[in-house]
Amino acid sequence: MKPYLTGLGIALALAFAPFFLGGYETNVLMMMLFFIILAVGLDLVAGYCGQFSFATGAFYGLGAYTAAILNRDMGSPIWLNLPAGALVAGLFGLLLGIPALRLKGHFLAIVTIAFQTIVYLTISQWTSFTGGQVGLSLANPAPLNLGFVTIEMGSLRSYYWLTLAVSVICLLVAWRLAHSRIGSEWIAIRDDETLAAAVGIDTTRGKLSAFVASAALAGVAGVLTAHALRGVTPDDYTIWISATVVAMMVLGGRGTFIGPILGAVFLVLVPELLGKFAEYKMLIYGVLLVLAITLMPEGVIGRLRKRAAR
Amino acid sequence: MSAIIEARGITKRFGGVVAVDAVDLAVEKGQILGLIGPNGSGKSTMVNLVTGEMMADEGSLSFNGADIARMALHRRARAGMARSFQMLRLFQSLSVEENLVLANHMRMKTSVVDSFFGRADSRAEDARARVKARELLAWFDLQEFADRPVTAMSIGQQRMVEIARGLMSEPTLLVLDEPAAGLSPPNVDKLIALIRRLRDEFGISILLVEHVMRVVRDLCDRVVVLDSGKKIAEGAPDVVVKDPVVVEAYIGSGWKRRAQA
Repeated sequence: MKPYLTGLGIALALAFAPFFLGGYETNVLMMMLFFIILAVGLDLVAGYCGQFSFATGAFYGLGAYTAAILNRDMGSPIWLNLPAGALVAGLFGLLLGIPALRLKGHFLAIVTIAFQTIVYLTISQWTSFTGGQVGLSLANPAPLNLGFVTIEMGSLRSYYWLTLAVSVICLLVAWRLAHSRIGSEWIAIRDDETLAAAVGIDTTRGKLSAFVASAALAGVAGVLTAHALRGVTPDDYTIWISATVVAMMVLGGRGTFIGPILGAVFLVLVPELLGKFAEYKMLIYGVLLVLAITLMPEGVIGRLRKRAAR
Repeated sequence: MSAIIEARGITKRFGGVVAVDAVDLAVEKGQILGLIGPNGSGKSTMVNLVTGEMMADEGSLSFNGADIARMALHRRARAGMARSFQMLRLFQSLSVEENLVLANHMRMKTSVVDSFFGRADSRAEDARARVKARELLAWFDLQEFADRPVTAMSIGQQRMVEIARGLMSEPTLLVLDEPAAGLSPPNVDKLIALIRRLRDEFGISILLVEHVMRVVRDLCDRVVVLDSGKKIAEGAPDVVVKDPVVVEAYIGSGWKRRAQA
């Protein structure tokens, strides 16, 4: 019960945060939540299942564009866009999982980079469908009518609470995946795929499910981001996003669940604190990543756990 | 008597090299079949073909009467095959107990979805698997290692965990690939007693690849000898080791080469 109670406590504290914070800080907090979903999602496929992916940005974008296009063509509200974004991204995750059944390590990483590039080129060039480089804009979220009360969704606070609630659900799903039977099968596949199959684990199902779960979570983050920014542009969903999320996961600690969360919090805060030096953030991420991989390949949380186990 | 596993005319080529050349082999129910031969004779390839890590180019393979020649590795495991590895293979980042429980997943009746939702029957099944793992560890006298990482154990203890892992899935055939490698003589004695108990108490049929002749002589009901991928002899261990063809394969050819040099 302890991890659930801890999570609930933090979520409650975050729910009260906008009363004490200004608009700018609330936006940063929201951005943090998007990246927490992305980093934890990547951790499922790369940290737990050991299938390295540089395509987080692509799934993030697929979710965001699903929301924007559905909103444009059918005026669909965020309640419908959230499952739709998860579904579309999840289906593409399944597609990217198929090469992972045959490729390992660097070769798989190259395929995920290719996938990321294809998605970027498609959303930036298919102007008639995606708006091309200009992107698309989204209508203000419609008020939520519950019958007895109507909640205004356009304000920053109510959107922040929605983001928080969806993030809590995403993290709960990810936690259950990682800590139930499928999660230990993912770890087995990461440790030794042939051995996993030799003890009867369906490695095809294991790898595909990890890719789908990871992509669907990124899709949800994309829908939330698209509605928060009231629009989508291709440059928000590039390989730089993928690289940033990889850095968050590796710094915090692969396959530790809590590590990528802390990594996301840290790496979202860094450019905010840098002020006008923020344009050097990729440089700083790069240096941190190189340092982490050479000095602490298991990440901060991974190192702490190893020390505790001794 | 019926065969648990029966291979006929199994052939495997790597490029131009024929690693296993039309080998017939059968493990009878409740028996221990030894598979021996000099280094590079194709024993390990033969084992990998039987368990499904590699697919044979030619030949038929039946397991409990069913054709399994094209069956994937994890399906063969589910059909009742378990193995140990010549080079120890355990999940390094998991505890000893977790290693054993994973091998029991395929026998569970509740699904991964039930487990995701933390349903009571699924949790009960997980708990039963942990109890079973601990019972098996106790049987091997390793219960104090249950919660420790596998890396905390000696080579010999890890070999026992591999065998325990095999038993978790209630196999009908256990394939042991050089279980005595790297064990001290007293531990080899223990291993022999253990494998005998596996056959007699658990009723498991065993395919045993082994270099240590004492293990082969003490345990095997029958022995198949491979040399350069071909079966050169088959029979009772005491008879086979005296067979001039087998003696030549092990030491004779070496003497010949030396004489020519």
